[in-house]
Amino acid sequence: MRNALPAWLTDEQLSSDIVPMLDQGDAVSLEQLAAEAQAATLRRFGRVMSLYAPLYLSNFCSSGCVYCGFASDRKTSRRRLESNEIEKELAAMRSLGIGDVLLLTGERTGAAGFSYLCRAVDAAAKIMPRVSVEAFPMTVAEYRALAECGCTGITIYQETYDPENYRELHRWGPKKDFLERLEIPERALQGGIRSVGIGALLGLSEPVAEALALARHVRHLCQTYWKAGISVSFPRIRPQEGGYQPAWPVDDRFLARMIFAFRVGMPDVDLVLSTREKPAFRDGMAGLGITRMSIASRTTVGGYHSPDGAGATQFEVSDNRNAEEFCHALRSKEIEPVFKNWDPAFNGPILQEEVACR
Amino acid sequence: MDLFQLGGYGLSSRLILGTGKFSSTRAMIDAVRSSGTQLVTVALRRFNRDQAEDDLFGPLSEIKGLTLMPNTSGAATAKEAVRAAHISRELSGSLFVKVEIHPNPLHLMPDPIETYEASRVLASEGFLVMPYIPADPVLAKRLEDVGCASVMPLGSAIGSGQGLSTAGMVSIIIRESGIPVIIDAGLRSPSEACAAMEMGCDAVLVNSAVAVARDPAAMAGAFARAVDAGRQARIAGIMPKSGTAVATSPLTSFLGTP
Repeated sequence: MRNALPAWLTDEQLSSDIVPMLDQGDAVSLEQLAAEAQAATLRRFGRVMSLYAPLYLSNFCSSGCVYCGFASDRKTSRRRLESNEIEKELAAMRSLGIGDVLLLTGERTGAAGFSYLCRAVDAAAKIMPRVSVEAFPMTVAEYRALAECGCTGITIYQETYDPENYRELHRWGPKKDFLERLEIPERALQGGIRSVGIGALLGLSEPVAEALALARHVRHLCQTYWKAGISVSFPRIRPQEGGYQPAWPVDDRFLARMIFAFRVGMPDVDLVLSTREKPAFRDGMAGLGITRMSIASRTTVGGYHSPDGAGATQFEVSDNRNAEEFCHALRSKEIEPVFKNWDPAFNGPILQEEVACR
Repeated sequence: MDLFQLGGYGLSSRLILGTGKFSSTRAMIDAVRSSGTQLVTVALRRFNRDQAEDDLFGPLSEIKGLTLMPNTSGAATAKEAVRAAHISRELSGSLFVKVEIHPNPLHLMPDPIETYEASRVLASEGFLVMPYIPADPVLAKRLEDVGCASVMPLGSAIGSGQGLSTAGMVSIIIRESGIPVIIDAGLRSPSEACAAMEMGCDAVLVNSAVAVARDPAAMAGAFARAVDAGRQARIAGIMPKSGTAVATSPLTSFLGTP
C-alpha cells in the first residue's frame, strides 16, 4: 500500500467547515469573514505580532524543483556560510533586535548536510532565544539530535498536495517522492521537535483543493500529535531565477479569504505571512488572522552582515522595509511587534508520549 | 482592613493582571496603574534584556509597590517549568511563580500531572507557588498538601472569554480550600469577575479581557471596581436565594407549636 494516499488527505470531514468559507461567489461574505477572523485573532492572540527572520546558510541543492531559484540546474553560483560567517550574520541579525531565526538550506548535499546544519543550530541557539529550521528531510534520530542542539521548530512545505503536479514539478532528487514528503512533519514531531510549520506553495495547483488538503493536514497532525505546535504559511510563487510562471496564480482576494478561513476554522494555530508579500497586503492582514511575520528578510545566502555581493536570491522579496519601518507600520495599527516570544529554558526535545518528569 | 493574604504578603487589591497581548508596553503599564493591582504575572518568554521595546519585565519592575509573579508559559513538562522558575527567580528576584504547564500549545489547557509535580518541587524549594489548574477539587487539595501558596483554577479556556463555565467545580474548591482560590483565565467582563468574588474566590486574574479592550486602562479600572464590589458583597453577606415558595397553609401545622 506504499503508493496509496493516506486516508486523511482525502477525508472531506476534516475540511468540511472550511469549504463554504472558500466560496468566492459572495462578495459581501469576504468582509464578514474578515471580521470573524479579526475577532478570533484578538481573542486568542491579542494585539501582538511575533516576528522572525530567515537566514539562508547555503544554496547548494540536489533537487530539481521547477519553481525554485536554487534548483540544482540553475547557473547560480553556490556557496555556504562558514562558521565565522554564520556568527557574524547572527550577530548582525541580533543587532536588528531579531530573536527568532529560521535557518535555511537547500536539499541535503555534501557541502551542507546534517552535521553542518547541527553546527549552525548550535551556534544560533547560543545567541538567539528561538531557532527553527527549514532544510532537508531528516530521520527521526536526526530530528531528535537537532532538537537537542536547540532547534524548536521545523518548517517543511508539501509545496503542492496534488500528486500529479508534484511529480512534474519535482524533476529529480530526493524530494521527488510525494508520499515521503508528506510524512516529514510527522517524523520531525516523532523526533521531539516542538512545532512544525506546513504550507502549500500557492500557484502550483488549483488553490481551493490545495487549501482543503492543507487544512486536512493540519487537523491530521493535531489529532495524531496532541502536543504539537502547528503553524501554517501561505507562500505565493514569486519571480525567481529560472522564470517559472505559476499555472494557478492566486490573487490577493483569494489569499486573504484562505487566511481568514484558516483563522476562523483553526483559531489556535499560528498563521504566518512572509516578506514574499507586498507591504500593503502584509499591513492589511496584520490583525486579521496572521500572528507571525518575517521581517527585514534576506533571501540570499547571508546578507545581513554584508548585504552587498551576497549573491542570487531564492526568490524576490516584496516587502523591503527595514525592521524599524515595519515595526512602525505595526504599531500604527496598535499591534505590538514582539521579537522575543520564547525562552531557551524550554528548548530540548519533547516526546509525544512523555509523562510526568521526575 | 480587608487585606488579601497571600504567601505572607498582605495585598490591598484582589485583582491580578496578566501582561501579555497588549498593543504596546505603554498600554500595558497604563492598565496596570489604572487597575491598582499589586501583583502582575509576566511570562519568562517576554523577558527581553536585549531589546528594550518589547521587554515587559524592565518597565514593570520600575512600578513602585508592584510585585512580579513570573510564569512558566511555554513549558510543556514539569522539568521545563522548574528550569524556567529558577531562571525567572534569578532575573526578577521574586519568590512568586505561576506554574503554567500546557503541553498542547494550541488550546493551552493545563496539564494536571506535570503541574502537580512541578509545584511539589518548587514549593519544597521555597517558592510561593501559584499553580494554574483545571477546576478539579481533588487536584486543588493535593496542591495545598504539597505547600502551594494558592490554587488558580480556570474559569474557562485561556482567551476564550467564556466566563466562569466551571462555577460548580470552583464552588467545591472554595468550600474546601485552606489556601486562597484565584480564578484564572476565561473571564470576559467585570460582571463575571464580580460574580467570582461573590462566590467566594479570594482574587481573580485577568489578561485578555483587559488587553484586547478598546481602552485597556479604562477596562482595568472597571475590573478593579467589580472585584472590589464582589468582595464587599461577599463580606456583607448576600441574601440567600429562596429555593421554594412558602405555602399559605403550612405543611407542618399538624406538628403543633413547640
